[in-house]
Formats: sequence, C-alpha cells, structure tokens
Amino acid sequence: MKKVMVLLLTCMVLLTACSSGNKDKDQTASGGEGDSKTKEITIWAWDPKFNIAALNIAKEAYNAKHPDVKVNIVEFAQADIIQKLNTGLNSGTTKGLPNAVLIEDYRAQGFLQAYPDSFADLTGKIKPEDFADYKIGTTSYDGKQYGVPFDTGVAGLYIRKDYIEQAGYKLDDLKDMDWKQYIELGKKIKEKTGKDIISLDPNDLGILRMMIQSAGSWYLKSDGKTPDLKDNAALKEAFTLYKELMESNIVKVNADWSQFIASINNGDVATVPTGNWITPSVKAEASQSGKWAILPMPKLPETKNSVHATNLGGSSWYVMNIPGSDTAAEFLAETFGSNADMYQTLLTKVGAIGTLKAAAEGEAYTKPDDFFGGQQTVSDFSKWTAEIPKVNYGTSTYAIEDILVVEMQNFLNGKSLDQVLSDAQSQAEAQIK
Amino acid sequence: MKAFLERFRFHGLFIKMFAVMFVSIIAIAVSVAWTNLRMTEDLFLNTFSITNSKVMNQVTNNFESFHYSNVLAAMTAQQSGTLKTFLTEKGSNESIKEMNAYYGMTQQMRKVQSFVDAYSAGVAVMGKNGRNFSGNYNFVRPTAGELYNSALTHEAEADPGKLMYHLYSGSGKEGQKPGIVATKVLQEATTGQEYGMLYITIDENEFKPFYSSFTSEGNDVVIIDSAGTVISSNHSALIGKKNAELLSYAREIEDQGLHVKKVKMMGKDELMLAQYLPSYNFYLVNMIDQQQVLGQMINTKSIILLCLIIVLVALVIVFLISRKMTRSLTLLSRQMSKVTRRNFHNYVNVSGGYEIRQLGEAYNYMLDEVNDYVGRLVHTQQEQRKAELAALQQQINPHFLYNTLASVKFLVQQDSKDKAVDTIHALISLLQNTISNVSETITVEQELVNLKHYVFINHVRYGSRIRVSYFVAPDCSRYHVPKLMIQPFIENAFFHAFNEKGEGFIHVLISTEAGRLICEVVDNGDGMDMEQLELAKDRKNKSSRQLFSGIGVVNVHERIRLLYGEEYGVTITSQMGDGTRVRISLPLVEVDDNRDENPI
Repeated sequence: MKKVMVLLLTCMVLLTACSSGNKDKDQTASGGEGDSKTKEITIWAWDPKFNIAALNIAKEAYNAKHPDVKVNIVEFAQADIIQKLNTGLNSGTTKGLPNAVLIEDYRAQGFLQAYPDSFADLTGKIKPEDFADYKIGTTSYDGKQYGVPFDTGVAGLYIRKDYIEQAGYKLDDLKDMDWKQYIELGKKIKEKTGKDIISLDPNDLGILRMMIQSAGSWYLKSDGKTPDLKDNAALKEAFTLYKELMESNIVKVNADWSQFIASINNGDVATVPTGNWITPSVKAEASQSGKWAILPMPKLPETKNSVHATNLGGSSWYVMNIPGSDTAAEFLAETFGSNADMYQTLLTKVGAIGTLKAAAEGEAYTKPDDFFGGQQTVSDFSKWTAEIPKVNYGTSTYAIEDILVVEMQNFLNGKSLDQVLSDAQSQAEAQIK
Repeated sequence: MKAFLERFRFHGLFIKMFAVMFVSIIAIAVSVAWTNLRMTEDLFLNTFSITNSKVMNQVTNNFESFHYSNVLAAMTAQQSGTLKTFLTEKGSNESIKEMNAYYGMTQQMRKVQSFVDAYSAGVAVMGKNGRNFSGNYNFVRPTAGELYNSALTHEAEADPGKLMYHLYSGSGKEGQKPGIVATKVLQEATTGQEYGMLYITIDENEFKPFYSSFTSEGNDVVIIDSAGTVISSNHSALIGKKNAELLSYAREIEDQGLHVKKVKMMGKDELMLAQYLPSYNFYLVNMIDQQQVLGQMINTKSIILLCLIIVLVALVIVFLISRKMTRSLTLLSRQMSKVTRRNFHNYVNVSGGYEIRQLGEAYNYMLDEVNDYVGRLVHTQQEQRKAELAALQQQINPHFLYNTLASVKFLVQQDSKDKAVDTIHALISLLQNTISNVSETITVEQELVNLKHYVFINHVRYGSRIRVSYFVAPDCSRYHVPKLMIQPFIENAFFHAFNEKGEGFIHVLISTEAGRLICEVVDNGDGMDMEQLELAKDRKNKSSRQLFSGIGVVNVHERIRLLYGEEYGVTITSQMGDGTRVRISLPLVEVDDNRDENPI
C-alpha cells in the first residue's frame, strides 16, 4: 500500500510541476510584449547630412534621459516617403507606417487636410507661440497643432568669392542685388571664368517659388485654395527672369540631386540661391573652405514689395496616430519641441537652423563660420528669417508646380507668357477643384 | 538473505506477472509513441515541404512579375528616342537646349520609373557621352556615376542583350545599403551600337518582401547568384558572402529535379528546396530547420510526459490488480506448504477471490477426510494389534504345560514332594499372571517374580546347567513394564544360546539411565552373527513358535513402540562365541498402587 501511495504522490508532483512551469513561461512572454510596444518608435526622414544627422542628435539627447526608449531612424528619399505615406493613408492601413515622419512645409497642409485623423493632435504637448510665426500656419490645421516645427527654409545666395573676384566684383557690391543684376553678374562670370552662375533642374521651379515669395506672392491666393497664376505679376516677372537666365546661357542644367550637389562641390557654378539647409552639403567639400560667402537673396527688380528675404523648403515633424504615438510625441516635444540646448548642438554640428525662438539667443547663433570666411551666417539667416513675407502655401503647391514645369518648357520654347500662364491657370483650376 | 529468498519464492508469481506486464506496457508505450512521433514528423515534413514548394512558386511569381516590370522599363528606355538623343548628343552651350534635353529625358525616365514604382525601385541611366540621371534620391540609392564605375557595368557589357541582375553592396559611402541592381545595355536597334546603360536599383530591404512574408523562424529563404554569392536573405548577415556549399546543393536539386533534399548546414538538419530563377540567373533556396519547425509543431516533451504519466498510471493499476490477485494465491500456497509429513492439521484460512476460496475449501475438506481416514486407520491397527497380542498371550503353549506337568509327575514319582509342590506353585502363579488382561502392565517386581517362576520351572525340567541371576537397581522395582516383556528373551537364551556350550549364565539387569528404564538380558552363550539376527527379525513370530506363549522377540519390540513411541524399543547385539546382549529401553512409568493389579 505504501508503494502505491508513493507512486501516486510522484505522479501528482510531476503533473503540478509541469503545469506551473508552463504558466511561468506565458507570463514572462506577455510581459515582454507589452513593454516593447510603447518603448520603440520609428521615424522617417530624408537627407542624411541634414535631417538624419539632426535626428541622431535628438535621439542622443533623448536617450540620455530615457535610456529605455529605442528610437529607430529610417532614411528614405523624400519622394519615397511621400509615396509610402500616400499609399498607406489612402488604403486606410497604418501598417508599416512610422511613428513620426518629417514632412516638407509645402506638402503639410495637403496631408493634414486629407487625413486629419491619421496624425496625432499635439495641442498641449508643444506651445505654438514658442516657434517662428510663419511655421505655425503650415503645421496646424483646423485650430489644432499637428506638427513640431523644425528647420527654417530661409534662403540665401551662396556665392563663390573667388569667381566673383575673378569677374571683377566685390562681395559688398552684391549685397543689394536684384535678379537683373544677378544675370549680369552671371554673364560676367561666364565670360571671365567659363563657369555658370546657377545650376537648375527643369523639374524643380524652386527658384520661381523663392522669387515670388520674396514679393509675398504664391501659386495660390491667400485662401490657400484658389490658383493665382494668370494675373500674378510677381510670377510673370519670375517667368521672364527665368527665361532670361536661360537665354543668357549661364545655367548649368541638372536633373537630380546628386548632379546638383556635384555642380556645387565640383566648382561648376558660382552661386547657389537656395535654402539654408544646403549648408552642410556645401561644407562637405572641405577644400573650398573660405571660398564661399552667403549673401541676401536678390529681389525682383520690378515688383515693388519684393524684399531680400525668402524661403525654400523647410520641414516639420509629424506624429502618426498609431500605437506608440504618445512615446513619439513625447520624444519630439522633449527634443525639437523645447530643448534649446539641443538646437545649439544642431547648429554647431549640423548647421541646422531651427525655428524655436528660445534657441535663437544661444551663442552658437553668433558664432562666425570659417568656411564662409568668418561670416556670422546663422545670425544673418536669423535676421532674414524675420523678413520673410508670409504666404499661405495651401494644399497644392506641387500639383501646380507640375503644371508650371510643363508650361515653363513651352514658354522657353517660344510660347507667349500670357498664354502660358492662362493655360496653367485653367489647368490648375480644373485639377484643384 | 535467506529470508529474502524465501520471500521472493512466495512472491515469485506476483513478480513474474508484474514483470511481464511492466515490460509489455513499457514496450507498447515506447513503440506506439515512437511510431506516432515518426509518422507525425514524416507527415508534417511532407506537408510542410509541399506547402513550401507552393510557396516557392508564389515567390517565383513575385520575382517574375518584378522581372517583367523591369523588362518593360528597359524596353521603354530602349525604345525612347529622346533618351537616346540625350545619351548620345554632345552637350550644347545653349542653356535652353540643354534644359530641353534634360527635361525631355526626365519625362522619359519618369515613364520608365513608373513601371517599377510599385516596387520602390529606382532607375538611373548613364550615357556614353557622360550625361546621366540618378533620380532624386538624396544619395539613398547609388548614383548613376557610382554604378557605372562599379564592376557590374563590365559584367553587363559582357552580355549586352540581356537584362542582368547583380548585388551592389555599396560604394562604401556611409548610409548606403546593399541593393540589387538590374542592368541593361542600351544599344542601337539596327547597328547594335551601345550608347548607354540603364540601371534599375532596388534596396535589398525592398527586395525582401517578395519572399519575407513566407519566412519564419527556422524557415529561411536565401537567394544566391550563379557564383554562390548571397544576394538577399532574411538573414541579413549572410548577404554578400560566398556560400559555395549552398550553391552546390541548389545545383544538385535543380539538376536532379529533386523535390526536397535533406542537408546538413552549419550543424543543423535542414530541409532544402531550391528553384532556379532563369530570368535572374539566381537560385531561390528555401531552408527549413527541421528541428526548429518540428519543435514548433510537435511538443515532444509533453507527448513523452503524457506517455510517462499514462504508463505510470497503468503500472500502478496493474501493480494493484496483480498484487490483489496473487496475494491470496501466495497466502494459500504459503499455508499449504506448512503441511509437513504426517501433519495433516494445517487448515488454510479461506479468503480471497471465488476461485481461491473454492480451492481452500476443497483443500480443507480433503484434509478433513485424510485426517478422518488416518484416525480410523490408526485406530483399527491398534485394535488389530491388541487383538493379536491378546490372542498370542492367551495361547500358553500346551507343550509347556504338558512338559511342566510331566516334570511334576516325575518329581512326585521320585518322591521329591516339596520340589513338586514348588513347581506346581510356580506354574500356578505364572499362569495366573499371564492369563490376565493383556494391556495391563505390571511392576518390575512382579515381572521378576514371574521370571523367577519361569526359570524355576525350566530348572526343574532341564536341570540347572544355566544359571540365571538378577541385578535390579532398588529404585526400579516400582516402575511398570508391559507383561511378559523380558520372558521371551530368557526363553530364547535358554533354548537357543547354549546349544553348543551346554552351560553358562544369564544375567538380567534392570536400572534407570537418563530418564529411561533399561532392562538388559545378557548371556554368555553361543551368540550369533548379525545376519542370523536379521533373519530372526524377518521371520517374526509367525514361523518361530514360542515355547511359553505366542509372544516372540520381534513382537516385544513392536509392542513397546506401539505402547510408548518410536524412541523406545529393543536393541540386540551379539558376537559369535561371546553371547548375546538384549537391551530393552522403556519410559519410567509409575502407576498408583491402589489400582487392583490382579483382578482374578
């Protein structure tokens, strides 16, 4: 009888041991899953020298305080990000989308108006009044703050000092140029050095945008919806100037980003009128240190209200409304949203000029840059930022630009300007409606 | 040890039974479990490999449709006159012409791009005139220049008619990921003159989705080119490495048309499926880690545990049942074994199952019967012996009476009146003591009196050549002995011991020794050898007619044993020429004196 009892006991012990073992396993498994959900976020951005570098600094600053959060930074070409976002949001699935994403200001309203529910409302998490005013219009929609404003797109004229000196100019002479004078300068440089003054991509009318914004004008009227092409005096002048540039044969044509950067780094062009975000790419060619300067943008010669300040690009961070949005929002709010010290680091290491007002007072903002001959580039850009005329980019900047790219070709090939613009106007009206 | 062996002997049945059951249960459990596991494994692996070959077809379709898009893109690029012009003409000094050319090219490239947009692939083109286009990718993808300067351009030019695929592991620039590049040499339709190169690049990460949804832990996909270099895999670490072993297996599977092959890779048993992608010149290899996949499907541990539990429970039940069954049998056999020779009084306790109870009852009944018969037998034999003895005792040999009376007559004739009277007297008392109850015993004293009377009659009859003397220990006279116990030996000595010698003596010695009464009759007559003695024993009293009564020497021995038990009796030792010694051993028996010893 004893033996039987022993056997029975052994069986029971074995059975209980097994069942308890399984339970333990399950518990640990479920616990681990719950944690990883909220503590890992993914962020998409483009431009490794600028946006990705900035993100890495932000990640470092954030992880110093929150070592448990894993931040995955994924680099894509901007076009790919737009395509992926459109695909994902259109199909209504959030699978494969990141927790946070960088969106260019020109496109922001388009996304926010089309998919307001897919983006997390950050009202209350960041303070809009902390940022440059002109960024708030593009990052908010329907009274809600969606974006964390990042870099300013304030534009300047990057110019090769050595080339203009060869052409017989002095830097100070060029501080108050208009585009007519710019073309003259270009002809001179071509004559003296054989170099072109500008590199342009037929598919990117950024220079037109800079020109018209300097006059407070845009492709759309201030309501952000009505195309404003046919009777837009600033646009007309810009078109004329563009054609003049072309006809002067002082343009180096490029077709993609790599050729654009190559034209700068190889010394093929004398000037680069563009947003300040090009600084890291210009500085990438260390052998050209001291040869560059940054001047205020030329203004439109005939449009009266045109100023020497304009904008190109600039982007902001947005949080997608998917699981993990709280962590992502916290990440952005604690870094790009409020950390003034981090902006100093961004400036010194990346050259990124933010739009956080509190950051503009740091000493990094007045630091002279040896690459640009000791120029206080950042404080210059900050000065110009304040002068940028405000415009409403609206929802369809690039849709209209696609139309204009085609019409510009027609214009260059001899079509009359009025016809070009009125055709563009009617196409735009048909498309945007 | 001995006790243990003894126990073992009684539990033998149980142990044998249990051992057989134990071995068979374990054997059955093990073989069933093993067979089951094997069958499940085989079945599962079979199904798995069938499913996976279907999956491989699906993956192949994915690859094919990507290839088809690439072919369409390449054809579009090939057929585009604008693109050809862009890649062949000399650069113009006029910006507008340049602008037009670039614009026209980008429009064409957008068309080309649109074929592969769905795969997140990028296109780049490089012309012999140095003009190129890489798309606006911010250096995420390799530029046309980088691609043109890399080795894959030469590979492509070696076979200009073909759309070829290569692994591009990056120019070493930071942030660039490995990618797959499709190359197509752009050439004049008529002359075959090469004028440019089209590159379609896709990130390895974008290439993965073609198959990655079919992979899982232990179910890996590796794509290798015909040189054995891993192009893409869900194991990122493998990419770009040469794996000749994998290639040889893949070739083997493809060449021999195998469905699935079992291989050993990196110390693991793998099921390998492979498919050749002719349009890519790649091998699509699917490796299934047998152990891992099986481990997910079949929980060997729990099956074995379940088997163990079932076996244990079965064993416990078998143990209990067989123990209960054999226990009563064991008890029965143990009780039965206690029945030793001539001891038929060990009845068994009837318990246990029906069969055992019946057996026990039958056994007990048999014992009853046996005891009954034995009792009856003993009783009848005793009766018979008594009757026999009585009969013998009654028979006073008429010759003795005749001879004695004849001797008395002579004495009277010779006028030995006194002697005659004594003789008559001796005869009377001898007869008186003899013809009484057979079973009666008499004291040693009385027996001696009888003996003396007998010897006296014999002396009268045959003269006193043989002297008889009595040595009786004084304390012995009150002990009882069977009647006529010593007389037959005296008679023997008188009539057989002195046939040759003619004269001698007979000593009768009575004493106690170690709690026994020892009576010895010793003569110094002729003696006899032991053979004669045996013969005498065999003949018994039947053929040797005794002279005084029917009781013979052998008779006495049996009578004593009948009365007192096995350990008592008569022993005779004899030596030729030295005489004979008869030793009778008896228990010390005392009878109350008030009993009437002479009823007549």
